[in-house]
Amino acid sequence: MKKICVKLLGNDRTQFIAIPIFSILLSLIVGMIIIAGLGKYPLTAYMNLLQGSGLMPKPAYSAYQGMLTDFMSFLNMLTPMMFAALSVAVAQKAGLFNIGVSGQMLAAGFVATVTVGYSEMTAVIAKPLVILIGIVVGMLVGALVGFLKYRFNINEVVSTIMINYIVQYLTSFFINTRYIDEISRQSRAVSRASRLTLMQVTVGELKVDIPLCIILAVIIAVLMKFLLDRTSLGFEIKAVGSNRNAARYAGISVGKTMVVSMMISGALAGLAGVTYYMGYLESIQPKVLTDTGFDAIAVALLGNNNPIGVIFSSFLITGVTKGSSYMSAASGIETEIASVITGLILLFSACSAFIRYEVKKWKTELEEAERRNADVKNNH
Amino acid sequence: MSEEYIIEMRHITKRFPGIVANDDVSIQIRKGEIYALLGENGAGKSTLMSMLFGMYEPDEGEIYVKGKKVHITSPNYATKLNIGMVHQHFKLVSNYTIAENIIMGMEPVKKVLGLFPTVDIKKANEDIRKLSEEYGLEVDPTQVIEKVNVSIRQRVEILKMLYREAEILIFDEPTAVLTPQEIEFLLQIIRNLRDSGKTIILITHKLEEIKQVADRCAILNRGKIVDVLNVAETSTKTMANLMVGREVSFTVDKPPARFGETVLDVQNMTVRNQDNFDVVKNVSFQVHRGEIFAIAGVSGNGQIELADAIAGLMEVASGRVMLNGEDITHMPIRRRTEKGISYIPEDRQEFGLELDFTLRDNLALKSYYKEPFSGRGGVLRPDEFEKYGQKLIEEYDIRSGQGTMTQVRSMSGGNQQKAIVGREIELQSDLMIFVQPTRGLDIGAIENIHKQIIAERNKGKAILLISLELDEIMNCADTIGVIYNGAIDKIAPAETLTMNQVGEFMMGVKSK
Amino acid sequence: MSRIIIDGLSFALPLFIMAIGGIYSERSGVTNLAIEGLQGFGAFVGALFVVLTSGTQGTDSQVIFYFAFLFAMIGGMVYSLLHALLCVKFKANQVISGVVINILAMALTAFLTKQVNKSVFNQPSDKFQLGVSSRFTVPVLSDIPVVGAVFTNVYPFEVIIIVVAVIAWFVLYRSRYGLHLRACGDNPHAVDAAGRNVGKIRTVAIMVSGALSGIGGMCFAYSISAQFSESIYVGYGYLAIAAMIFGNWKILPTLGACLLFGFARSAGYQIVQVLEKPSSYSDLVMTLPYILTLLLLIFFSKYNRAPKALGEIYDKGKR
Repeated sequence: MKKICVKLLGNDRTQFIAIPIFSILLSLIVGMIIIAGLGKYPLTAYMNLLQGSGLMPKPAYSAYQGMLTDFMSFLNMLTPMMFAALSVAVAQKAGLFNIGVSGQMLAAGFVATVTVGYSEMTAVIAKPLVILIGIVVGMLVGALVGFLKYRFNINEVVSTIMINYIVQYLTSFFINTRYIDEISRQSRAVSRASRLTLMQVTVGELKVDIPLCIILAVIIAVLMKFLLDRTSLGFEIKAVGSNRNAARYAGISVGKTMVVSMMISGALAGLAGVTYYMGYLESIQPKVLTDTGFDAIAVALLGNNNPIGVIFSSFLITGVTKGSSYMSAASGIETEIASVITGLILLFSACSAFIRYEVKKWKTELEEAERRNADVKNNH
Repeated sequence: MSEEYIIEMRHITKRFPGIVANDDVSIQIRKGEIYALLGENGAGKSTLMSMLFGMYEPDEGEIYVKGKKVHITSPNYATKLNIGMVHQHFKLVSNYTIAENIIMGMEPVKKVLGLFPTVDIKKANEDIRKLSEEYGLEVDPTQVIEKVNVSIRQRVEILKMLYREAEILIFDEPTAVLTPQEIEFLLQIIRNLRDSGKTIILITHKLEEIKQVADRCAILNRGKIVDVLNVAETSTKTMANLMVGREVSFTVDKPPARFGETVLDVQNMTVRNQDNFDVVKNVSFQVHRGEIFAIAGVSGNGQIELADAIAGLMEVASGRVMLNGEDITHMPIRRRTEKGISYIPEDRQEFGLELDFTLRDNLALKSYYKEPFSGRGGVLRPDEFEKYGQKLIEEYDIRSGQGTMTQVRSMSGGNQQKAIVGREIELQSDLMIFVQPTRGLDIGAIENIHKQIIAERNKGKAILLISLELDEIMNCADTIGVIYNGAIDKIAPAETLTMNQVGEFMMGVKSK
Repeated sequence: MSRIIIDGLSFALPLFIMAIGGIYSERSGVTNLAIEGLQGFGAFVGALFVVLTSGTQGTDSQVIFYFAFLFAMIGGMVYSLLHALLCVKFKANQVISGVVINILAMALTAFLTKQVNKSVFNQPSDKFQLGVSSRFTVPVLSDIPVVGAVFTNVYPFEVIIIVVAVIAWFVLYRSRYGLHLRACGDNPHAVDAAGRNVGKIRTVAIMVSGALSGIGGMCFAYSISAQFSESIYVGYGYLAIAAMIFGNWKILPTLGACLLFGFARSAGYQIVQVLEKPSSYSDLVMTLPYILTLLLLIFFSKYNRAPKALGEIYDKGKR
C-alpha cells in the first residue's frame, strides 16, 4: 500500500500534478458512495455530468440543440470563472488574499452595463469598450485595496469584504432607482451589441452561444504564467508574496509591488465581471453577489495558484456545476450534489500539503528500510 | 544497575530523514555534578537532550532516571521526573507577564464565589517573588516579557524549572546571548544550583565555560561520543581538537591594517522604533577603506537598528549617513545597494533569503532586474541565473541537494549563510555590513567566513562588523566601537582594548 | 430612537457571539474564515430539529426554541471539527481550509435541506420555515427613557448571547484553559514546553468557535430570515471576522465594533423611514457601516496587532 502510494505520488517531478489528480479521484469516489447511497447509479450520474457540459453526447437532443450547444454554453460559464480564479491566484502569489473578487466583478459589470450596455454603440466599438471598462474599474478597486494595505496597513481581507458590501448596496440602490426592469426585478438587459457572448448563433444545424472572451481568458492565463515566471515584476511579486521582509531587504519596493499585484488582480476580476454580467448573463440582480468570486478562491487553490493549473481546475469545477442540471433531470439527483462533489474536491486538495508530507515520510521510511536490508545482506 | 548515576542514557540512536543525529550514544551522569556536553553545531547535543526532556523519543536505546528505566514520552513526563530544560530559543509568551509564563501549566487556582476556578495570579506573583529571591534570580513577576531584556528572560526560564521543582537542569547554549559579565553571573548561579544539590547538564560549544564550571565533559562529534573527560585534568586545546576532530588554530592570520579614505561616515544619527522610542542615539563614527570596524554590544542595545538604518531598512530620525561623500540618509534601499552597500543581516531566514525560492534565484536576489539577468522590458534570462549560480556555488563552496535548483529552505544553516555571504561579497560594494555572520555555524565554517571578511578588508573594502560574540570581535576588528543603550560612547583601536574592558563598556559600567 | 436600539441590538449581538467564536479560534493561533460556514451549518441543524419535531409550519413552543439553539451549537461544533482536522491534524493552509469549509457548508446544507424536504415531508422545497421568535419586554426597566429601549421587545436569544458572552469572557481571560489558549496564539512552543497539548487546545478553541457561530446562525434564522435556506449565507460570518479584526482580537472592543455595525444599520433604516424616501434608499444608507469601518480602520489599524502565531502551522520539530 505504502509502496504504491510512494511510487505514484512520491516523484518530485510529477508530484505537482499527481497529487491534485489523486485528490480529485478520491473525491469522485466519495461522491460515488453518496450517489449510491441515494440509490442511484454513480457512473450514470457522472456520465450525465459530462453530457450536461457537452463533453459527451446525450442520447437525444431537441431541435437546434447538440453536443456543441452544450459545450459552448459550458465555455460561456467557464470564461468568468477562469478570469476570477486567475485574479485570486495572482493576488495570492503576492501573499494577498483577495476575497473580494465578487464585489470587484459586480463593480466592473455594473459600470460597463450602465455606460456601454445601455448605449446605442455598435458592436465593434461597444465590445472592446466593455472589456476596457471592466479592466479599468476592476483595477481601480484593486488599487484602492492595495493602497489601503500599503499606506494604512489595513488587512486586505477586511477591506475587500467591506468593499463587497459597499458595492453590493450601492449598485442595488442605483439599479432599483434607475435601471430596474419591473417584471424581472433585475436591471434592464444590456444591448445585444455590447454583449460579450454572441447568443443563439446558427452554426450548421445548431444554435449555439459563442463566448468571445474564452480565447482571451486562455491567452491571459498564459501571459500571467509568463509574467510570473519570466519577468522581473513576476520575480518581485513572488518575492513579496513568500517573504515580505526579505523582499524589502533585497531592495524591492514592497508597497508598490502589492499595489501593482492588487491592480492586476482587480483587473482580472473586472474581466470576470464583464464576461459574467454582460456575457454569461445580460442583467444584474440587485443586492446579490455572485458565488463565482468565492468559488474562484477554491479553483485557484486546486490549480495551485498556477495560471496554467487554473485553466484545468476551472474547467473541472465549472464542468461539474454546469453538468449538474442535466444530471438532475436525467437521473433525478438533486443538482446540489454537484456542489457537494465540488466541495469534496476542494476539501481533499486542501489536504494536499498533508498528503505530500505523508508520502515523503513513507518514502524516507522505505528508503531507510531498504538501506538497512542492503546492509544486512552485505554483512552476510 | 548502580545507584550512583542519576541519569543513564544507553545506546541511544535517533534518526531524522537523511541523517543519524545520535548514533549509539551512552552517557552517565552523577547526582550533583555539572556535566557538560561539548560539540560543534549539528553534533547531536541538543537532540540527545531533547530526548531526555521528552521532546523526541529515541529510535533505539534506553533511558534510566534514578536507576529506573523510563520512557519519556513528553516534556510533561520529564517534568514529573524532575527534569527541566532551558532551551536555546526561549519558549516564552511575549505578551504575558513573567509570572504567567512561569506558572503556565501548573497554575495556582482559586475559586470565584466558591464555584468558578480561576488562575490565582496574586498568589503566583508572591510565589515567584519568593522563589526568585531564594535563588538570587531577582525578577519582577508582573513585568511583561517583551519589555525585559535577554538576560532577564533567561532567568525566567530558569525560574520556570525551579518552580516545577526540577532536580536535573539542562541548559542548552545558555551563554550565547550574554555579555561576559552576565555569563560570569550565570555561571555563578549554575554553581550555586549545584551546591544546593541540583544536577546540571550544560550543552555548549564554548570551551572556556566548561573549563570554568563543569566537573565532567562528554565530547560529541557527528552524532557519536568521542570521549568523556574530567575537566580539571584536561586542557582546552585537547578538548577543542577532540570536538572538531582535527587540529584547530585559535588565531586568525591578519596582516596589519592600512586605512584608506573614509567610506562610511555616520553623523549624529538617531533611529526610532515603531513605538517612537530612540533605539539609536546620536551616533557618530567613520569606517575607512581597509578597516574592519566592529561594534560590540549586548543583544538589544540598538546595534541591529543601527545596521538596518545604514542599509535603509529603518528610517533615520535625525543626523546624516554619508557614503563616499554622498548623502544617503533618505535613499531607497535599492539605490544604496547600487551605490555600494552589501548587507549580511542578522536574521538570515527572515531577511537574508527567500526560503521558498531556488538557490540560484536567491543568489541573484539583489541583481535580478539588471543586465545580464534581465533584458529590455524586464524579461528574465534563466540561463544567466544558472551561469551565475554555478559560479557562486563553486567559489563559495555552497553545498545543496540539487545544485542551483535547490529550494533554499531545505539547505543547512551553514550553507544558507554561505549563500548570503557569497551573494553580498560578489556585489563588490565599497561598504560591507556583516551582522552576526557566524551565528550558529561550526568552527570550520566560522574560520572560513572570518578569512573571507579579512580578505575583503585587505582588498580595500570598508567593513562594518556587528557581533554579539566578543571572541569574533577581538579576532577580527581593527577598530572597536561599543554600543550601550543605543549610544556608542567608546571607540578605540582594537589593540588598545582587552576583552574584559570591552565587556565592561558593554554593560555601561565604564563611561567614556 | 428606541427602534434604532432595539433593531441594532438584535443584529449586533448575534454578530458579537460569532465574533467571540472567531476570537477563540484566532487567539489560539488558528485563522478562522470558516465562521460563515459554521453559522450556516449550525443554523441548519437547529432548523432541522425544529421541523422534525414540529413540522414545517413553525411553532411557538419555547422548549423547542431553546432546544433549537442547543442543536445549532452542537451542529456548529461538530462541523467545526472538520476545520480542526484540516488545520491541526492535516496542517492545511488555514485560510484555504476556511474557504473550503464555507463552500462545502453551503453545498451540504442546500443538498440536505432539499433531500429532507423531499423524503420526510414529500414536498420540493429548499427551505425550512421557522417563523420569527417571540419577543419580551422587561417591565419597569423598559420605562426608563432612552436606555429603556434596551429592555424593550427583546428576543430571548439576546439574553442567551449575553450570558454566553460573559462566560466566554471569563473563560478566556480568567481560567487556566484561557491562559493556555491565548499563549498558543503567541508562542505555541512555550505551551508545549509547559506540558500542554497545543493541538488539543486549538481543537477545543475551534469547537467553541463552531458552537458560538451556531448560536449566531440560529439567531439570524429566527429573526431576520425567519427560515433556514441559502439566504442564511449573506456574509454575516465575514462581517463578524471584520468586527473581530477591528476589535483587535479582544472581546470588549469587538462588542463595540458589532454595536457600531448594528446601530449604523438600524439607524440607516430609520433615517430612510423618517425622510419618507422609498425603501430602495435604505440600500444607500446600508453602505454607511462599511464605509465607516474603512474610515475608522484608516485611523486605528496602526494599533492593530494580530496574535503573533496566527496562521502558523505548529510543528513540534521546528524551533
